[in-house]
Amino acid sequence: MALVKAMQFSLTIYSQSMVSALITFKDIQIHFGSFHAIRNFNLEIREGEFFTFLGPSGCGKTTILRTLAGFISPSGGSICLKDKDITNVPIEKRGIGMVFQNYALFPTMTVFENIAFGMKVKKAAKSEIDAEVRDIARKVDLKEEQLFKKVSELSGGQQQRVAIARSLVLKPSILALDEPLSNLDAKLRVQLRNELKELQKQFGITTIYVTHDQEEALTLSDRIAVFNNGNLEQVGTPYDIYNHSQTEFVCNFIGDINRIDPELIASSPLRAFVSPGKVAYIRNEKVNLAPIEGEDVVRLAARIVDREYYGLYSKYVLELPGGSRMKTIEKENGQVGFAVGEETDVYIRLADIMQYDRTERGH
Amino acid sequence: MNAQTLKNRLGSLNYGQILLYALIAWFIIAFLIIPNLNVYYEIFFKNGNFSLDAVEKLLSSKRAMNSLKNSFVLAVSLMITVNVVGITLVLLTEYFQIKGAKILKLGFFTTLLYHGVVVASSYKFAYGENGLVTNVLASLFPAMDREWFHGYWAVLFVMTFACTSNHILFLGNAIRKIDFQTVEAARGMGAGAFYILWRVVLPVLKPTIFALTILTFLTGLGAMSAPLILGGTEFQTIAPMILTFSKSTTSKDLAALLALVLGLATIILLTIMIRFEKRGNYMSVSKVKSALEKQKINNKIANIAVHILGYVLFLIYVTPVALIVLFSFTDAKSIATSTITLSSFTLENYSLLFTSMSALRPYLVSVVYAAAASAGVVALALFASRIIHKFKNSKLAMAMEYALLIPWILPSTLIAIGLIITFNVPRLIVGNAVLTGTHWIIILGYIIIHIPFTMRMVKASFFSLDNNLGVVLD
Repeated sequence: MALVKAMQFSLTIYSQSMVSALITFKDIQIHFGSFHAIRNFNLEIREGEFFTFLGPSGCGKTTILRTLAGFISPSGGSICLKDKDITNVPIEKRGIGMVFQNYALFPTMTVFENIAFGMKVKKAAKSEIDAEVRDIARKVDLKEEQLFKKVSELSGGQQQRVAIARSLVLKPSILALDEPLSNLDAKLRVQLRNELKELQKQFGITTIYVTHDQEEALTLSDRIAVFNNGNLEQVGTPYDIYNHSQTEFVCNFIGDINRIDPELIASSPLRAFVSPGKVAYIRNEKVNLAPIEGEDVVRLAARIVDREYYGLYSKYVLELPGGSRMKTIEKENGQVGFAVGEETDVYIRLADIMQYDRTERGH
Repeated sequence: MNAQTLKNRLGSLNYGQILLYALIAWFIIAFLIIPNLNVYYEIFFKNGNFSLDAVEKLLSSKRAMNSLKNSFVLAVSLMITVNVVGITLVLLTEYFQIKGAKILKLGFFTTLLYHGVVVASSYKFAYGENGLVTNVLASLFPAMDREWFHGYWAVLFVMTFACTSNHILFLGNAIRKIDFQTVEAARGMGAGAFYILWRVVLPVLKPTIFALTILTFLTGLGAMSAPLILGGTEFQTIAPMILTFSKSTTSKDLAALLALVLGLATIILLTIMIRFEKRGNYMSVSKVKSALEKQKINNKIANIAVHILGYVLFLIYVTPVALIVLFSFTDAKSIATSTITLSSFTLENYSLLFTSMSALRPYLVSVVYAAAASAGVVALALFASRIIHKFKNSKLAMAMEYALLIPWILPSTLIAIGLIITFNVPRLIVGNAVLTGTHWIIILGYIIIHIPFTMRMVKASFFSLDNNLGVVLD
């Protein structure tokens, strides 16, 4: 097991070193007055990647994005685009297309005028503007007749496409999106998320996406950087971030998780695996009600104390020896599941337990 | 509301309430409807017969026609100058990063503190024959005419700076509501501060600017104090002319006709304004807006020029007020000659105000009138709003609401003329009393003019109250 992990790790290192960085943040420091918002921020983003900055509000993710776009000047450190230092390059010369939280479309202009704005600023020829705007509109699936509507007449999805078209028409090397889905209702959010992913695939453009929504981050990203209090907690693929959370904060912030009661650890076979002085966590879906095979599987007695039926799956609350509780999730397979009050066994694979030093502060 | 529920509600009224409703109906008929209709009667009916005498009289009166022309010229000029200055003030205080913007704002806000006669007089104090500014100019150009500050340009100058209150209030508010992300988006695409202002910010403000333009036009058209004090003989406008004509019995019809012209212009422009507002209101498409951050002017020369402009405007605004305050501490000789020496400072004016009844009396009279009118208008608006709320959707309530909004549509000059010419003879509806020339007509005038605004405020609070709570209060 350890060998497999080590191989996986070295493979990751190898693949990372193979792809050169498009954006490099080096020792970035950001102050707002006397408040030190970001300290020694270092990160590399690769070309063509869909990269997500994930974290709770106030963690510094938007600050870093705005620093990259040029709206904030760092008080220290540098930002490089390939080999070029862009730390002091004006916003419009950085080649970064920004899509704002509320799309920031110009309400007095038509869709065409919105998309053409940047080209007009750059004094492009009228014929060129006309051709480019129509071309990009076609690519983002905006219809010809929509081009001459006021932006307020468009639906949320169409507005998002206009905002993206407005950025892409200037042929940026990077597309930066600042929580573009956060103000929409749940259904539209999922729909636009899928559209966004399609567009990114189609254009193959390096995309940096800021969100506080872990589901968005997991479904959209090639890689995720988890932020907390102005620091980077972990950078990795969605799989790594979810299954191998490097810090207690990350494991708490992503997904639903059970913190395993220390008394349960002390009084069960888990004590052989969890190091003394560490806190241990296990994801809800890794607490199995159905038997699983393997040498590192621990079996514990439990009683069902609550069940929520969701159709596709059920959520159970279990009481374990010593009175501690755990949550689990079981896919519904058409058979009658467990009833409240029923005694059963739960199966936990030791490799699924994530443990952290007690000193680390969780979410 | 159907007839049955209306009947039920009417049936639930007691005698006190019926009396109250009758009182309000009487007020509306006696003071809002009859006087305003009477204006037309006075103009178009002579001895009971239809006549266009007044129109002919107006057309043949060179003085009256000139005043009409002057008023329109002033109104059109103000539309341009007030917008230029007003928009500049708002940009200086709300949009651009200007050092000392807070102090500038205080200066620009002075027009909110004092208006009308006080403004016109204060400017005369600075720019008049013995004014400080005139003294400075005369020392630089000894040949200049010391009585330079009068006529069209003087009126335009004073009114331009005095009429920016609405810009400061409404345009300031509108610019603060602009979604800052649109400004940032434009900046991100390479647009400069002035390009963003022209292409992104001002278009969003267009409806507000349009409404302000019409309000400015109406203010210019009905201007009273500035033309009266600074217009001189060569620049007479409608409102002071109406005042003059209304005083003589033979020209009352002319006064009424001039007031009617004012009223018509007002109604036409307000109609256009409402139409435009309905059509051209830009709804921001953003769900959350971010607050406007002040824009730095990157071009050094432009930045210096804008700063200079800001402080020059500040001086224009503050000088008249500062002089009033300064000279209020000096003796009569200093005030008359605009010369200040250390020995001319005195607290005598202030002590006189509190020790001599003749000095205090005008203030007391103002306060008493204001208090009486406030009490009257609040009481009226409260009861009327209650009725409108209770019988909402009924034709009666709607008619009442519209009747109470009459003073909003008509210029105050027209309302005043209506009251004067209606109640200068005994009228049955007011118990055969003659009101013109009494205290009552002044209080009535104050009340009538303040009804629409008070009504809007009171009505808004009524509608935010729970309906059931209203029933309990009954």
